[in-house]
Amino acid sequence: MHSPSVELTARSQRLVIFSLIAIGLGFLIVVQLRSQAAVARTLAAQDDTSVALLINDLNRANNQLIQQNAVLAEQQTQLQKALTSGGADSQALSKELTTLREVNGAIAVHGPGLEIRIQGPVMDFELQDALNNLRNAGAEAISLNGYRIIGSTPVVSRGDILMVAGHALRTPLVMLVIGDAEQLGPAADLSASSLQTRVEVSIQRQDDLAITEVVTPRPVIYAQLGK
Amino acid sequence: MTVLASVSLATFLVAGLAATQFRSQPLPPSNRLARDEALRKSVNQLEDQNRTLKARVQTLQADVKAGEDESARRSSAAQEVKAQLDEQKTFAGLTALHGPGLTVLLHDGTDPNSPVDHSLGWTIHYQDLQDIVNVLWASGAEAVAVNGQRIVPSTAFHYAGVNILVNNASRLSGPYTVIAVGDPPALANGVGNPDQLAELKSRNRIYGLGFSWLRSTRLSVPAYDATFLVKYAQPIG
Repeated sequence: MHSPSVELTARSQRLVIFSLIAIGLGFLIVVQLRSQAAVARTLAAQDDTSVALLINDLNRANNQLIQQNAVLAEQQTQLQKALTSGGADSQALSKELTTLREVNGAIAVHGPGLEIRIQGPVMDFELQDALNNLRNAGAEAISLNGYRIIGSTPVVSRGDILMVAGHALRTPLVMLVIGDAEQLGPAADLSASSLQTRVEVSIQRQDDLAITEVVTPRPVIYAQLGK
Repeated sequence: MTVLASVSLATFLVAGLAATQFRSQPLPPSNRLARDEALRKSVNQLEDQNRTLKARVQTLQADVKAGEDESARRSSAAQEVKAQLDEQKTFAGLTALHGPGLTVLLHDGTDPNSPVDHSLGWTIHYQDLQDIVNVLWASGAEAVAVNGQRIVPSTAFHYAGVNILVNNASRLSGPYTVIAVGDPPALANGVGNPDQLAELKSRNRIYGLGFSWLRSTRLSVPAYDATFLVKYAQPIG
């Protein structure tokens, strides 16, 4: 049995202890929040994520450029060899012509890649983002619902209707993409992840798919050669 | 007993917070600076290498073209292929072009520093440039370049963090100049159409992005500063 004065002293001590703990907690919570904000600001200012991503892109681009240099050097050697032996290598020219026709969407092509089916409406910016991701992953030929898509193909929305090169597309959208499926896969997944919140997207790898549609080059009326 | 439990719990929380606090301290300035410096040095080295490789590509392209020209002079078969090749090079953006057209200008606006506006609407995003280029193609542009980078079939606008990249990791930074060769009135009508680029125009009014366009009688766009590799697509037939 404690006396009332002892009881009062004990209660006061508990009050003091809890007050001190509460003050300590409050102080630490405030400092914690402030320091987290400071860390975020510091990272934003340094932007090391951006720098790291840029390094990644530069490495990839430089590897591509090294390969381009090798192809051009070989082409030059072949042309020079023919010229030195007194002839002309029209085969080397034909090979380059074929490559450029493929790039410009002027001839039918086949090869490995992805078939992407989208069940539901897609806006122009969503398709454009997907095309950017796929091209960045090395897509060599793309078609959508029977229309070949190249760099200059306009993609616009008229209300809910998606228009590609002036043609209205209906769902399902079926996109065929030729390229390295290992590289294209993650790019397609990235686009699908943002679309899948409201439309159904399926991505299938194909060993060999054909894109038979071609683009008729627009007539050059205003542009002239040279700087 | 209750008091002991309360004190233990509170002590635990204090210790936990103290530990978190300790962990969340930024890196010491010296480490941070060293890391920053190393990262930036890597970017500089890679960009130097990028420029060197592009210059090498252009030299080789010139050599190849000289060989092709000589082949065309020597053989009628080669001459025929060469004519088609030149046409495809023009379509692919491998030759510099000039002509009348439209210049579109824009830049980052003013950060409102508003506690309620965290939209970053005051900055130019890669999608803005992509949208402008898209409208220009739809309006009949025959050739387009953004900040001196020719837009070609393989061009992809994308972000690497805050950097806008196109064409083999070429960084684009403001102010942005988009040049399109084509029919100036048609291009201006396309960009000026209220149904086109509506979101960009709205942000321009709010944040002052300097979005404007100018018709010209003579503009020029450079050739693409690299070439194309096709490894997987094979011609049919």
